[in-house]
Amino acid sequence: MLLLQNARIASENSPVLLEADVLIVEGKIQDIGPNLAIPEGARVIDARGRVLMPGMFDAHVHFRAPGFENKETITTGSEAAINGGITGVVMMPNTRPALDSATAVATVLENAKLRSRIPVYTSGCVTKNREGKELAEIEGMRELGVKMLTDDGDTTNDPAVLLRAMQYATEFGMFFASHCEVPELAGPRALNEGVMSYRLGIKGSPACAEEIIIDRDIRLARAAGAHVHIQHVSSKLGMETIRWWKSRGDVKVTAEVAPHHLMFTDEHIGDYDTNYKMNPPLRTQADCDALLEGLVEGVFDLIATDHAPHTPFEKAQDFLSAPNGITGLDTALVSLYHHFVEPKKFGWDLVVKRYSAEPRRLMGLPVAAVEVGQQAECLLFDTEAETTFTREFMKSKSQNTPFLDQTLKGRVDLVILGTEILLER
Amino acid sequence: MARKDLLDIASLHREEIEFLLDQSTSFKKLFTHSVKKIPALEGKSVLMLFYEASTRTHSSFEVAAKRLSAEVTNFDVAHSSITKGESVRETIETLQAMRTDYIVVRHGHSGLPGMIARQTTASVINAGDGAHEHPTQALLDAFTIKEKFPDPRGKKVLIIGDILHSRVARSTSTLLQKLGVEVAYLGPGSLVPKYIPESIRRFTDYEAAMAWSPDVVYLLRVQMERQDVQFFPNVREYHRVYGITNARLAEIRDRGLYIMHPGPVNRGVELCDAVMDYERSLITNQVENGISVRMAVLDWLTPGGDFPRQESYVAQQRASSTVIMP
Repeated sequence: MLLLQNARIASENSPVLLEADVLIVEGKIQDIGPNLAIPEGARVIDARGRVLMPGMFDAHVHFRAPGFENKETITTGSEAAINGGITGVVMMPNTRPALDSATAVATVLENAKLRSRIPVYTSGCVTKNREGKELAEIEGMRELGVKMLTDDGDTTNDPAVLLRAMQYATEFGMFFASHCEVPELAGPRALNEGVMSYRLGIKGSPACAEEIIIDRDIRLARAAGAHVHIQHVSSKLGMETIRWWKSRGDVKVTAEVAPHHLMFTDEHIGDYDTNYKMNPPLRTQADCDALLEGLVEGVFDLIATDHAPHTPFEKAQDFLSAPNGITGLDTALVSLYHHFVEPKKFGWDLVVKRYSAEPRRLMGLPVAAVEVGQQAECLLFDTEAETTFTREFMKSKSQNTPFLDQTLKGRVDLVILGTEILLER
Repeated sequence: MARKDLLDIASLHREEIEFLLDQSTSFKKLFTHSVKKIPALEGKSVLMLFYEASTRTHSSFEVAAKRLSAEVTNFDVAHSSITKGESVRETIETLQAMRTDYIVVRHGHSGLPGMIARQTTASVINAGDGAHEHPTQALLDAFTIKEKFPDPRGKKVLIIGDILHSRVARSTSTLLQKLGVEVAYLGPGSLVPKYIPESIRRFTDYEAAMAWSPDVVYLLRVQMERQDVQFFPNVREYHRVYGITNARLAEIRDRGLYIMHPGPVNRGVELCDAVMDYERSLITNQVENGISVRMAVLDWLTPGGDFPRQESYVAQQRASSTVIMP
């Protein structure tokens, strides 16, 4: 039994935080109200001034298992999630072997049950070994609970293959997540084509390489009557393309934006800092502004980190040789607070809606909410405290993040899932 | 004013540039002496680390180092298994253990010399990294131009060719602008980046560029080795549209313009044969000046020096209005 006193409760439905006590009994929220009586044997936590919110859900993470356990494992990845206030994740299938069959998916899910304290879901490949040629074992994966199909890391390049996959899998209630990039246009996939690519002398990846596939995949989904989810949008015109398609209303399209695309530009790469090397690449301030606008407006249904761990050894190479991607789970919620909620660019309701409720809806899961009768799946966030992202602080096996050794406003103090307290600071 | 490394032109201040060009003049005077060697770097070791093939830059650095009495070692990249990033890191550790004083590095990856510089006490000189920078080429270009125009302010240099892949274009244009020279680019649309600094004019056809009245026409080498992707239909067409043809040479001669080229020249592509005999071609001057400029650079740097890291591009950009405009 746990009584959280005087918490400020965040919900997706209200910009105003509701101040109340919350009583959790046997992993369920039993009562919410002012000045609740302290039941006998209850542990009381003074949550005054702190925000109580549902656990976040990240629909785009790379846990690198199987195959790249030197970068991340299901255990370290899920602990990084808990560290950041995230209580559920969806893995991407670009592992080795790729998750393109029921057998591969079953192994991962069994592993996750044993090795993770939070639910770990996975997506499955569209095509075998993500090669873009033969369809993966789609229905077999669905039987195990896979809802989302993606060749993430790459686009399913042949539109005919993707269309056929959409026609086939839509029958089973599955949907498609698209990594949008024309490889022939994207160049070395290192940074945005712009002022910075000229200055650093690296052939840039033009935003149109991404925008073309955003448009193409939505058109394919429309033709197939499928649902397409556009991943990690980085460009203004990409956002506007999705907005236009959504306004037509004749195709089911959802989209996500990653925190780093909202916060950083290609200028941050500075002196070839590989912690800012990701795909799609960081673009310009105008793109950041447009993405923020799209998030506030609801063009983006969800925030997802694209948590992409790489070893220090790999990231310490020169800029061109280093792999793309940054970790995001340990830092996401605090950085969103620091950059946007605290400066009042958006409210807690948006964070809860876009980073907790909508991703769960996308995956067909029950939404976590701080409401009577719900399972306790929540966290306490101290808005006055600070977090310093030292190597010791972070639980991800890799620390390829621009936030390394930075101090940001806000701190995740407590994470509760059912009867378990997963984290307490 | 001393520095540990020379990694780029972008972070050089005008006074540093002026100093290096002055020093180059002094070193050039040595060339007329019967003994061309001085003991400035006696006991120092220079390691040549060339991951990309090079004749001019490599031999120019080697001659420069030897004239300063340094000991020169060539790291045999071709016969080692080194090609990519992770091996480079291991190499850096090896080099650090060897306690070499200078490392002259050329690599196909932009930013790699900077990475080496951060991890060694040796003075690192960027001898060309990817399409990023080639600072000593820029210095020798500026030196060559200053020999003809002692006060180059207001002069105009038209750079023609493959800007996209050219570290020479980037470094030389940056340096010339710091000296008050106006710079313009001309080249095939597929080889001129869409985003170039606003301070650089861009022309799309040769006639318009000539109407701008340049003082120097700087031809870039068409890098055949990068033509795995087709950027223009064929070299004949390139020569006709962007090259110095016989007819264009006649006009250039009439106007008395200087011609420069970083070499090696693709005859019949960037320029017709006759350009090589043109009295205002500065191509061999550039080669000769390379030695004195590189001597000045080696003499200037301080191996093992504990200097603040060079400013990042972001910081430079913020300060650029004061740096670029003289």
